[in-house]
Amino acid sequence: MAMDAVATTSTRKLDTAALRQSKIAGVILILLALVTALVFAQVDGGDAVFRLSRPTDPWVLPDLVVPAGPFNWIAVAILTFLGVRQWLSKTGKGTSLALGIGFAVLIAAFLVWATAGKAFSLTGMLQATVVRAVPIAMGGLAGVLSERVAVVNIGIEGILLSGAFTGALIGSLLGNWVGLIAAILVGGMFGFILAALVVTYRVDQIIAGVVINLFVLGLTSYVSSQVFSEYRFLNNAPVFRAISIPVLGDIPVIGPMFFQQNIFVYGALIMVAAATYYLFYTKHGLHARSVGEHPQAADTLGINVYRVRYIHVIMGGMVAGFGGAFLTLGLVGRFDDNMTNGRGFIGLAAMIFGRWHPVGALMAALIFGFADSLQQKMALLQTPIPSEFLAMAPYIATIVVVAGIVGRSRMPAADGKPYIKE
Amino acid sequence: MDFKRIAKPALLAGAMVLGSAVSAFAFTACQVTDTGGIDDNGFNQTAWKGVTDAEAKFGVEGRFLESQAETDYAANINSLLASGDCGVIITVGFLMGDATKAAAEANPDQKFSIVDYAYDPTIPNVIGQVFATDQAAFLAGYLAAGMTKSGTVGTFGGINIPPVTVFMDGFAWGVDYYNKQKGTNVTVLGWDPAAKEGLFTNNFDSLDDGRTFAQNLYDEGADIVLPVAGPVGLGSAALADELGTDKLMIVGVDADQYLTNPEKNHVYLTSILKNMDATVMQVIDDAMNDHFMGGLTVGTLANNGVGLAPYHDMDSMVPADLKSEIETIKQQIIDGTITVGM
Repeated sequence: MAMDAVATTSTRKLDTAALRQSKIAGVILILLALVTALVFAQVDGGDAVFRLSRPTDPWVLPDLVVPAGPFNWIAVAILTFLGVRQWLSKTGKGTSLALGIGFAVLIAAFLVWATAGKAFSLTGMLQATVVRAVPIAMGGLAGVLSERVAVVNIGIEGILLSGAFTGALIGSLLGNWVGLIAAILVGGMFGFILAALVVTYRVDQIIAGVVINLFVLGLTSYVSSQVFSEYRFLNNAPVFRAISIPVLGDIPVIGPMFFQQNIFVYGALIMVAAATYYLFYTKHGLHARSVGEHPQAADTLGINVYRVRYIHVIMGGMVAGFGGAFLTLGLVGRFDDNMTNGRGFIGLAAMIFGRWHPVGALMAALIFGFADSLQQKMALLQTPIPSEFLAMAPYIATIVVVAGIVGRSRMPAADGKPYIKE
Repeated sequence: MDFKRIAKPALLAGAMVLGSAVSAFAFTACQVTDTGGIDDNGFNQTAWKGVTDAEAKFGVEGRFLESQAETDYAANINSLLASGDCGVIITVGFLMGDATKAAAEANPDQKFSIVDYAYDPTIPNVIGQVFATDQAAFLAGYLAAGMTKSGTVGTFGGINIPPVTVFMDGFAWGVDYYNKQKGTNVTVLGWDPAAKEGLFTNNFDSLDDGRTFAQNLYDEGADIVLPVAGPVGLGSAALADELGTDKLMIVGVDADQYLTNPEKNHVYLTSILKNMDATVMQVIDDAMNDHFMGGLTVGTLANNGVGLAPYHDMDSMVPADLKSEIETIKQQIIDGTITVGM
């Protein structure tokens, strides 16, 4: 009897919370509809033209021509419908979905408004999205691997930079494959250093990570300005060219995005899939996660907590080294001071937004990459929005997605805490 | 954090103990670089070349501190001030304007010079080195408009500040001038000189931005791209190298990038020269010989402070007519027949 009462109250509580969220979502969606109606739908005719194919593609799709006015009024209708539906909802279900669709419609309306009377390459933008996402996704995946075993890795930025540096240096001397392997190994080495500091010596995890960042930045900038400027052949690595996958690469839009890229993009996608399978569908992955959630319990079951932490932090370092090598061996063929420019920290943010899940981190990185390449196109189309505001778009988009759609995420319970075996 | 910052004072201390090492140089020229590094194959490197030229010519000692971030500016200037033996401190970059002004006013006996900043009113112990880069960029714009096969050229900048956008202004005006002369309709992507808005990486560090931004412009049809973002432009050169120069050519900035970026030199159509090395060396000469007067030096086409680099490998591809037209326009800018501007 008492149990029933408790259960009913808690269910009711959940219901009211969900209903409240649903109402808030309804209001947000109706506001978005208003914005769309008052701003984006106010275009003086004109079509927005999105180019889907390059003239050289084997299957050329015609340009996507969208009449701007009518399209955006339809967007207003969809947003209004979703808003009213959420506001009136009795169950409070589907809030995230409605918000997700709502934001997607809003972005489409914005794009059409900005492009009205002009044209741009949609395929190019989506391809750039993937390219921009790779280093961030690798930073995020490195974070997932180490935080799932409760080691906070602030040093990812530095490890990315070390991967970029090693890739350029060793790649210049011994070719790009050796450079890539060396970058992965150096990343793993920094993972090992971090693990030694925080697992064995229980140095504060944040401080250990910051030390790695400062050390790598100082060392690589020093070598770059003192050695590379003298001996230029040390900083001239061959770049991995794009490999088009037969048939798949010829698919319009999707092909250029995912199947006409270089090995880093393929490698990143494979790694995300492999890490997901490993962490959530294998025994070792379960062990790893248990170490991150409750190391004492894991220890009691005979799991070697220290060893598991070492292994995963090293794996994370290797992934970050790979991501860093992408910048030099996958894109520009040379190293320059601080060329990661904060990508590792954004990767950590992607990990949190992705709820400590490899696929989530990839999705967050893709959203960031999308907003980033979107703002570049907007700058070219000369919208009335100042370029400084456009440059904020990737960050704003990430915040909106996290706050609005992802909702509350939970970090591994033991995250950041050293484990002291009794 | 920065080993140079640790290593240099340590070396200095060592030198002072030895005593003799200090007296080997009568004059020390000190430089603070902007972000992007001393080896950026462009901006910082050209300014530093002025110091190394002075080392070779006048036997002075050159010393530099690199700025890794904008927060380093004041700290670097102060650590040079603290070393006490800088005959002149040269700060390289518009963004150092405030930090240089503060240091110059606090130390009225220390000679300063800043690249890309003109104080108004002038400060008695600071020489501002500014450049009419738009004159040279105008020529590059005209050239690009004459060379494009797609009828579209592009540009992007590092940060939306005058020393960057002056390149983009001149480039766009040069294209406009070509259109008016020839009745063509060549488009410039990435910069609107009237609205002062365009495409910016918002950093001078990420080489991969240079590649992505150039790819973006290429996707929109541009076959000649002018990156005005220091080392970031090297990323654009990597893309042009991969695509081939029949699809994408790059216009270099600051230095003759054919010479400073020898690994990828075949991608450069030309470079817009901003001969900071000449002005920096002049400032050092003035400071050494007590000709130092605070104020302004302006580099123009007329005094070779700015210019257009040779076409090098592209020489055979540039039609003779276009070459002679550019020479004519250059003369017309110098004698004032053409005014570069809106």
